[in-house]
Amino acid sequence: MTFRERLQAWRYNLVPDHLVGEILTKRWTDNAIPFLALVATLGVFGSIIPGFFKLTSLQESTRQLGEFSLVVIGMTVVMLGGGIDLSVGSIFALSCFSAVYVFFILEQSIWLALAAALAAGLVFGAINGYLVGYLRLRAFLTTLVTFIFGRALFDILVTAYAADVQLSQASSDVLDFIGDGTFWGLSVSVWLAIILAIVTHIALTRSRPGWHVLAVGGSRRSAHNAGIRVRRTVFMTYVFSGFCASIGGFLIACRLSGAGPGTGLNLEIMALTAAVVGGVSLGGGRGSVVKGLMGAIIVLTMTNGLIRLGYGTGTNQMVLGILLAVAVTIDIRWLKNRHKVLNEVYVAPVYLKMGETQSAAPGSGTSYELDNRLSAADHIGLGELEGPEDVILDRDDHLYCGTRHGEIVRFFAPDYKRSEVFAHIGGFPLGLAFDRDGNLISCVGAMGLYSVSPDRDVKRLSAETARSWTSIADDARLRDPNDCDIAPDGRIYFTDSTKRYDAHDWALDSIENRATGRLLVYDPKDGSTKTLLDGYRYTNGVCMAHDGKSLFFAESWACRVHRYWLEGPKAGTAECVIRDMPGYPDNINRASDGNYWMAWLGMRTPSFDLSLRHPDMRKRMTRRLPQDEWLFPNINTGGVVKFNEKGGIVETLGDLSGNAHPMVTSMREHKGYLFVGGILNNRIGRYKIEGADPNWTSPASYWGGKP
Amino acid sequence: MKLLRTLMAAATALAVTAFVAPSFAADDPGPAAYAKALNGKRVMLVPLAMGFDLAQGWAHYLKKEVEAWGGTFETRDPNWVVDAGAQAITDAIASDTRPDVLIIHAPDLNSYSKLMKKAQAAGTYVLLVDNPANFPADAFVGSDWDKLGQLEAEAAIKGCGENSSKKIGLVQGDQANSSSLYQYAGIMKVLEKHPDFQVVAKPDSNWDATTSRNVTTTMLQQHPDICSIIDFWDGDATGASAAIRDAKLDGKVFLVTTGGGEKAADCDKLVDGTYGAVVMTDLARQSGDMNAIIKFLLQSGQPAGTSHTYIYTLEKATTKADLKPDSCWDLKALQAEAAAK
Amino acid sequence: MNAIGWPNWRRLNQEGIVFAIAILLFAAAALGLPGFLTADNLVAIVRSVSVLGILALGMAVVIIGRGIDLSAVAIMAMSVAWYLQLLNTGTSDGLAFLYVLAGVLAIGLLNGFLVAYADVPAIFVTLATGSFVFGYVRSQLITQDAVPVPGGHWVELLGGVRFLDIPVEVFVFAGLAFLVFLFLRYTKWGRFIYFAGDNPVAARNIGVPVRPMLVLRYVLSAFVALIAGLLTAASLHSINTRIVNSTLLYDIVLVAVIGGIGLSGGRGGVRNVLVGAALIGILLNAMTIIDIPLLYQNLIKAAILLGAIIVDGIINPRDEQTAQQGDI
Repeated sequence: MTFRERLQAWRYNLVPDHLVGEILTKRWTDNAIPFLALVATLGVFGSIIPGFFKLTSLQESTRQLGEFSLVVIGMTVVMLGGGIDLSVGSIFALSCFSAVYVFFILEQSIWLALAAALAAGLVFGAINGYLVGYLRLRAFLTTLVTFIFGRALFDILVTAYAADVQLSQASSDVLDFIGDGTFWGLSVSVWLAIILAIVTHIALTRSRPGWHVLAVGGSRRSAHNAGIRVRRTVFMTYVFSGFCASIGGFLIACRLSGAGPGTGLNLEIMALTAAVVGGVSLGGGRGSVVKGLMGAIIVLTMTNGLIRLGYGTGTNQMVLGILLAVAVTIDIRWLKNRHKVLNEVYVAPVYLKMGETQSAAPGSGTSYELDNRLSAADHIGLGELEGPEDVILDRDDHLYCGTRHGEIVRFFAPDYKRSEVFAHIGGFPLGLAFDRDGNLISCVGAMGLYSVSPDRDVKRLSAETARSWTSIADDARLRDPNDCDIAPDGRIYFTDSTKRYDAHDWALDSIENRATGRLLVYDPKDGSTKTLLDGYRYTNGVCMAHDGKSLFFAESWACRVHRYWLEGPKAGTAECVIRDMPGYPDNINRASDGNYWMAWLGMRTPSFDLSLRHPDMRKRMTRRLPQDEWLFPNINTGGVVKFNEKGGIVETLGDLSGNAHPMVTSMREHKGYLFVGGILNNRIGRYKIEGADPNWTSPASYWGGKP
Repeated sequence: MKLLRTLMAAATALAVTAFVAPSFAADDPGPAAYAKALNGKRVMLVPLAMGFDLAQGWAHYLKKEVEAWGGTFETRDPNWVVDAGAQAITDAIASDTRPDVLIIHAPDLNSYSKLMKKAQAAGTYVLLVDNPANFPADAFVGSDWDKLGQLEAEAAIKGCGENSSKKIGLVQGDQANSSSLYQYAGIMKVLEKHPDFQVVAKPDSNWDATTSRNVTTTMLQQHPDICSIIDFWDGDATGASAAIRDAKLDGKVFLVTTGGGEKAADCDKLVDGTYGAVVMTDLARQSGDMNAIIKFLLQSGQPAGTSHTYIYTLEKATTKADLKPDSCWDLKALQAEAAAK
Repeated sequence: MNAIGWPNWRRLNQEGIVFAIAILLFAAAALGLPGFLTADNLVAIVRSVSVLGILALGMAVVIIGRGIDLSAVAIMAMSVAWYLQLLNTGTSDGLAFLYVLAGVLAIGLLNGFLVAYADVPAIFVTLATGSFVFGYVRSQLITQDAVPVPGGHWVELLGGVRFLDIPVEVFVFAGLAFLVFLFLRYTKWGRFIYFAGDNPVAARNIGVPVRPMLVLRYVLSAFVALIAGLLTAASLHSINTRIVNSTLLYDIVLVAVIGGIGLSGGRGGVRNVLVGAALIGILLNAMTIIDIPLLYQNLIKAAILLGAIIVDGIINPRDEQTAQQGDI
């Protein structure tokens, strides 16, 4: 290995580039930018202002934050529903006044004051909701006008009653506690904001009404057509916003024991700014309560912090303007370009030097030498089938295969001219196996392990395994279950080829060549799924050895076959039995003579082998070239290989014409014939094997003769 | 500038000499007690905003004095937002560097009352300036708005004269601010004594010059024979004067207003005839009053919230005729002075 | 809208409703209020809304192109405040004006660039730049809320200019309205604004330079704001930057939108601005004559506006199937 190659190997195999892509696929990265802004804001002001984080100081300074956060939560919900509520400031002020009026002038109890504040907020919210929701008026204009209306009303009321409020002797311990007290170190307003935030978050993400809000915000028309009561949902968002603002108003009434002409002024712009800085999108559908809260903290810390630092008029607005512009621009660009960035960085190839191999060229004289025998195979279902990855025959000689359309098709014996859809599963059924009771077990690409009973009942056996602790991407989910086989005790051993790509992106996995393939086992007794082996380059075919004590599995991109011991001294370990083949192995199945059949989905090429030693080149290739110009494994020539118990190659069959079976992904021996399938083929081949046992069948080999 | 620096250098030199030389004045216990009570004390001013002449004038005079006796002077700028002001006060009270004296320019009668009570409970003296509030502060320093209104009305009556239409128009601020309400009450008191004078219209400007202009325009159209207009603040009286100009009634309508006595805002406008009379607050004296009461409170030893002093600043209606060179203070000069430091 | 552009009276839309209310109010005021129907008062009505109307014209052009410019008031007040501050501190007039022109151009370009090329929604861009412009100028460039016009300067003289006893603002408003009308109706680029506002993607597909035109609109709006600011300073002999925090911005949007310019773009024109301005002007004037306190004026204004949009909502209900997503 040259020094350059060694460097490349270290660079690409040790640096976990793939994690960047995996992190980017996470939904929570949506919050990354507002979160960073939040940390930066708190960090900067916390370090400049002495005593910023002191508990008593925080208790006081967060009272306003609690009130403001409540308003922002309401605004967030309205924005998520595709609207906007500019009247929050007016609702806030009117609710504050209502509470003050009831408490100080009517001298009623504080709870009646709360009820009055809530009533004011709900009524105002309901008016907004009725106008915008039921009358379908435009939210911006409508709430703008109701804002002016509410403000004017408040100014009139506060002017008329301000003096009376001051003359009032009413007082209440509860009011003082709400306004000044703390509970477990936090003020009442902060507690209320936290509780409301949690409730709202759960309602939005885990309840029907919450989903309706998001659906209406995401696409109003689709929501309407899907039968969601759009108008009522919109109505409710404004009522909720009014509710939130009214609690805020009540709290400020308690805190300041009065209402003044300035109460709630400019609150709508502040709340809007907060929601936007947090990353709630205008026009609906994207955002969360958490985002709104982050925005609220950023905006309020910033404005109060600058005032506390003694900066003059304007500095606040200047900083806020810059913050808003930068936050929104980054957020928008991020949203727009995230998938582009993801496409750019997701594929993170690793270095691999493939071993020298024997030639498979016709006339080379090796045991891998390809011939033209498969071109003589009969065809079954020509033109009807799309993508029979695996084929299997039952005790009654009927032929089954999966198709690209998520169906399992059955061809009837003896001539295999007639066919029917045996079962529809979905996904892409790949590996097939019959269990002792005649249930058809299938690995379904992108879905999991499924069982189809003879009565065609489809049952999901497994779709996930235990998640590994260190993974960033969710590796519990089975992304590409590929082939399965069943041990004598009924346990199902199956492979999941890659953790990084979905089944149809197998080409990308081959280019990346990262070892993330797994061997798993499903235990029908308790329904559990366990990961046995991890870290292979595209695990593929699985086949139980004739004695049932071990199994073979193929590692496609490394061109190797391994044997995994189920019992005996090496139980639970794997050893490589065939290495450095000239072709990429796929499914493996039993042969009648005690050997094993193995499919080659394609042949190695010197060019791709070379590219595996140049991960940088492959990375550039995926970024800069269109997909149809990528270099990836040759799948235009394949074949069928027979190997013995020890891994020795017995013979190789091929189709040099390339007409019938250029690529083989599976083959199954049955009564002297070899049935051949290919994932990109449009037929199943039937090849008469010379000298094979004409009575040998696979079900009998596994489960004994007919009961 | 150079002169100033030389003077300062001389003063420093003098002070140093005085300090070093054994001084017989050391026997006077006054300076020591004074220094002990005041040194290191914090004074904070929270005006409605720092962006207008009054606040900048106060800040200038207070800062000069407070820093001279070894205290720290700070300002907070809520920029006319009441909530921001409330939060600034809250933060100040809760912070490590709690001010010993809080000077508050209240936006209305109510909003800060509870916070001021809290400040006093925490041991901070609260001074109200300019705008009264429904709260017994340690001291109120500012205008008697009622009296001020009376002065305005008297100036207007004088401006109209005996042979005029005797119609007066008011451009009020708003219906919430105490300064506006009390001014109106004061004006009405005087006019009651002069029943031949009548108020023909009393719209609000909301302290905004454009609104003031629009309402004045309409007022003048409805009553072209108005002899005097009282606008409640020089900050928006420019609008009323523009309306008078528009109506080509300059010199016929006597415009009375009130302000902080800043040169560009008041005296210059008296000179060019924009305003007929301005009831001016003597800002330097008002600041001096504040300084005195601050010094008194800090030395008094009495707990915050126990004294309730009212110090009303002397107001005087100034016309072009009795304008003197020192009638106004010059903000530009103060700023230049501050910049020179 | 038919070929000439007259409103379709048979189908009552928002513009028609607002216009009808304005006419009704006018008639009522003319009959009931002494001194309302005088030449002086009518001029005063137009004058009182002319600055508002000028700003609304700029806003209208932006809104028709499916945008919104919330920075208009900040640009208007702060550009002029900076200009006057420069003059007061002794910068030569030409240089100062050049600075201000460059500043206004820069903000217009920034708005346009962020909206057109960074794809940030206009409402946020202009909210942010408005806040920034106010904050930057207020904290860095000027020292006080209000900046006076230096005595004898042309801005001061501009305020006193009269033709036929009509103040200059009225002529500027009329002239600008006519120019904008010509621009929108008879120039290629004016028509393109409608296309871009109605369906930006389609407009782009047929080859309309959608993005450069977006930038142009915001630059245009910024300059209109500067003109409005100069007129304000001319009539008041000073500019008070507190106007940025007032409800003027909402009033501008209201004047533009209440007259029937859809916030979703592609609809409306100068006539709608005139109708909106007429309603607001007549309303405020009549209420001032009756001597209604300002607080109640706001309440009445809001109630009438609310009535207008409710009636429109009932007469022309929006359809769930054809409503545009994100049209708020």
